[in-house]
Amino acid sequence: MYNDLNARRQKVFSAIVIFALLLFGVRLFFFQVVDAAEINKESESSMLVNRSVKAVRGEILDSAGNVLASTVITWDVNIDPVNVGPVVLDIDGQKISFTKEQAAEKLAGILRISTESILEKMTGEGRYANLKKSVSASTYNTIRELDIPWVYFDARQSRHYSYGAVAGNLIGFVGSDGSALAGLERTMNSCLAGSDGRESYVQGADLIKIPSSIQTLVPVKDGGDVVLTINADLQYAAQQEMAATVRRLKADWASAIVIEVKTGRILAAAEAPSVDPNRPGAVAERNRHSRIFQTAFEPGSILKPIAAATAVDVGKATPTTQVVAPDRLKMPWGQYINDSENHPPFKLTLTGVLKNSSNTGLVQIAGKVDSATRYDYMRKFGMGEKTGVNFEGESSGILTDYKGWDRMTDKVVMFGQGVSLTPIQTAMIYQAIANKGVRLSPVLVEGCQEKNNLVKTAVPAPVRVISEDTAVQTMDMLEKVVELGPIGKTARIYGYRVGGKTGTAQIAEGSGYGRLHAVSFVGIAPVEDPQFVVAVTAYKSRTVSNSLGATPGFVKVMKQVLRTYKVPPSTTKSKKLPTEWK
Amino acid sequence: MSISRAIPLVRPIAPRRHLRPVESLPRPKAVRQARVSVITQSRISVAKRIVYGLIAIWILNLIVSAFCNTAIYSISSLKDQTKELATKTQILQQQVDSLRSPQNLANSAKSLGMVVNANSVFLKISTGKVLGAAIPASASDSGVVSANLIANAALISKSNPTNTSSTKMNIPVTEKTNQSVKKSNSGYTEVVLPSSGIPASPTH
Repeated sequence: MYNDLNARRQKVFSAIVIFALLLFGVRLFFFQVVDAAEINKESESSMLVNRSVKAVRGEILDSAGNVLASTVITWDVNIDPVNVGPVVLDIDGQKISFTKEQAAEKLAGILRISTESILEKMTGEGRYANLKKSVSASTYNTIRELDIPWVYFDARQSRHYSYGAVAGNLIGFVGSDGSALAGLERTMNSCLAGSDGRESYVQGADLIKIPSSIQTLVPVKDGGDVVLTINADLQYAAQQEMAATVRRLKADWASAIVIEVKTGRILAAAEAPSVDPNRPGAVAERNRHSRIFQTAFEPGSILKPIAAATAVDVGKATPTTQVVAPDRLKMPWGQYINDSENHPPFKLTLTGVLKNSSNTGLVQIAGKVDSATRYDYMRKFGMGEKTGVNFEGESSGILTDYKGWDRMTDKVVMFGQGVSLTPIQTAMIYQAIANKGVRLSPVLVEGCQEKNNLVKTAVPAPVRVISEDTAVQTMDMLEKVVELGPIGKTARIYGYRVGGKTGTAQIAEGSGYGRLHAVSFVGIAPVEDPQFVVAVTAYKSRTVSNSLGATPGFVKVMKQVLRTYKVPPSTTKSKKLPTEWK
Repeated sequence: MSISRAIPLVRPIAPRRHLRPVESLPRPKAVRQARVSVITQSRISVAKRIVYGLIAIWILNLIVSAFCNTAIYSISSLKDQTKELATKTQILQQQVDSLRSPQNLANSAKSLGMVVNANSVFLKISTGKVLGAAIPASASDSGVVSANLIANAALISKSNPTNTSSTKMNIPVTEKTNQSVKKSNSGYTEVVLPSSGIPASPTH
């Protein structure tokens, strides 16, 4: 009886199990076959997402760590035309009904676009119409707070330049798609860009990302920061001065460069007009690049110290070498070399030649040096080759081989004609003289910084151009230009010993020269321990046709430099050098 | 009478689920039945445990899933909050950037009529010598700060230096304007000069 009972129980249990299995089997059949399409459809709502993760572009910093360019989030404001209709908006806590026309007007006011253009985009059967791209965070918040159901947003990365056009010509800009288009944004793109990553995750029907499902397929690498040698405050002051110079002279453009003599670091490279990278389209295309590195032109008399230093360095002259300088000097082949003004013959020393900026005097003294030697010195001063600053589109200027010079070119290259230089090349010539005859490569980018590790920019080796003694003698001569020169003395700075040279260059037009000039002044201070070179140029000055147009800008910029870097006034006096003889 | 006769021929019916002393070798069928009974009982017990275990796991899974779902939504909500705060931070940062931009500062200085003093004077600590001439800044020698000439489309906030309510500093007011210098300075921390070198800043 006991066994019968157990046997019966076993049978019942087995039957239940078999029944359950059958039930599961039938259900499984329904899942797999009968309801498969419906289940698949449901599963689509919780699908696996595979997406790209954008790398954050690095920042551009000045030498003090001020952020000149950064990446921010902006939003594209879009509407869903199919669902456009009347809305109830929360205005200052009050619920107010708006027709779609009134809502459009409200949006137009916030986005600063016309109501008509919004109304036009509201019509149609599409699900997407863009009202405005890349609006700021505050605009985004203002619109979002309206809570209009048919307005939606797409976030994107954008570049933000908080200093505006300060150093704009150097920094460059990016396109609306984030691609680097100009300036350091493009030159240093390999440092700034980083590399995008990739991840996958499961997303719920309500678009919630399931945290445990996130898989990093390719790790994202954010961009590094570019650290510049530029001092943003000094850059601003110099740009302000150049903007004022352009206005005063009605010039095409003006530039000011500040070089730290002992390191070659560019502390300011100011231009006017300058581009605001936030809105590069707001200025003409010709103002969107950096003329300091990319535009070469005949420098004029600013180049005379090269010829003088060469003559001294090879022992053909000293600062006191005497010459009679007429206003017109006839060459053996019949052509003439003129000074800028008519004057009786001057009895000048080489120092006096520089002080008066006499073409005829210089040709007689520096002409004692053969062409090949003068050409070699010009090359050593960096003419005819890129400076090594590694700025996109940098011009190497023009210096043709001396073998190709005709008789007149052989003479005029001594006072800056028949050759062309960029403003940075000119500034670095004076850096070499101020740095005891050693030319350095200009440095604009300190390096690329990744996770607090600064990888310094490789800099070409220094070049010994002239002897230290020649450099000191040339500095002494340049000081006399500022101390005694008719125009040079307008570059004096109270309390400081300043050396420099004026330049009024004719501008080539067609086969000859035009009416307008490039006026410039390059100065060094303090002479007893040269620390800074400031090179100012105004191109196509229309109100002042000589260096008087450039010296006020030089003085203001140099004063700002000396104040910024707390350079104490000079305590020594200039060397006594005769400029004339009897 | 042999010993075998003394043993009863009929096997007494054993009471169910009671062990009994083995009086003689049980018949094979009876042994099998007993074994089946014990094994069946054991199997049913294991099956029950498995079923209970599965039910427990299922309930645990439900609880964990519920917690996970709640956590997922919490994470999502926190991420939204992070985004919102990041947006607010960005707005504030851009306002700060605007206010500290050189363009804004130049305009503010201009509106306040500020003048650049181009004649810096230096004190050489080692010798006590003064370098440079202490000439007061003058508006006549074109030292007036010029208005900003450099474009900046990112300038979203501007200082209003003429609004004294926002720029007024909380400076202790002395009782009389003609008080002596000594008395008016009495409210400030005294800078103690060490025997040599630059005095330490009283700030902390």
